[in-house]
Amino acid sequence: MSSPYGIQSKKLAMWLFIVADASTFGAMLFAYGFLRLANPAWTRPFAFSPTIVNGSVMTVVLLTSSLTMVAAVVAAHAGRTPAAIRWLGATMLLGFVFAALHLREWFAMIGEGWRLFQNPLGGSPLFGATFFGITGLHLLHVVCGIVVIGVIATGFRRGRFDADHVETTSLYWHFVDLVWMFVFPLVYLMNVR
Amino acid sequence: MTATPAGRGPTMQSYVLVWIGLILIVGVEVFLTYERLSAGTLLASLLVLALIEAALAVMYFMHLKYERPALFWSLIPYLVFALVMMDHFWPDALRLMHQRLSAP
Repeated sequence: MSSPYGIQSKKLAMWLFIVADASTFGAMLFAYGFLRLANPAWTRPFAFSPTIVNGSVMTVVLLTSSLTMVAAVVAAHAGRTPAAIRWLGATMLLGFVFAALHLREWFAMIGEGWRLFQNPLGGSPLFGATFFGITGLHLLHVVCGIVVIGVIATGFRRGRFDADHVETTSLYWHFVDLVWMFVFPLVYLMNVR
Repeated sequence: MTATPAGRGPTMQSYVLVWIGLILIVGVEVFLTYERLSAGTLLASLLVLALIEAALAVMYFMHLKYERPALFWSLIPYLVFALVMMDHFWPDALRLMHQRLSAP
């Protein structure tokens, strides 16, 4: 391996993507912070139940999916393919649960009249834009992650991909988890009633 | 399960401890939210806790702690620099806030 970093090129490429994507999410969160600070009458609509309870459960689900993902990487590197596939399946399942909980929350908010540029409580319409924009981009990453893990798991089972592919994919999944560690406190907890 | 990826990095037991730590931090975040702190104190507390969570995830789950230091120094300082450069517009947000607060 001739890389000065001692890692394969695909892993370095994933790290570079993660740094670029972190800047994208950073920019969105900074824009949200700007809009929030500049609007003294910012709407804080979230009640402990159901929103914060639901958000906390989503957070635990996503953190647990990171644990199942590292278990998949450990099993893949140890040559235990069936176990790695099972852990990858568990990660996908937890990703589905997270997405389902998120969509349920979205539909409940849309049912209350929230839209991208509409605030049913009469405050700044930018709340909907920032909330749906940031959580929507994150949800898109989760859905992409589920698809990628499915592709990698299938290839790994058939012997087309190796343990390093699983590890590189795990970097992406942990990054999605990492972004949520900022989205949950900043977008949810800072907007409780 | 005690094996580690490529024979290096933390054991599965360490991963579980990190996972428990992350969940506890989330619990502390929710607890602090309902402690009637000022917005500034709450924001600072949540940001510090989120940074600790992010550091744990990057160092252990993403194995950056176990890679060559060159990788860390090639990635993280530039990301931090990019994020710091985004801080220059806070004074304008404060200006707008005061403008709106003092409006009739």
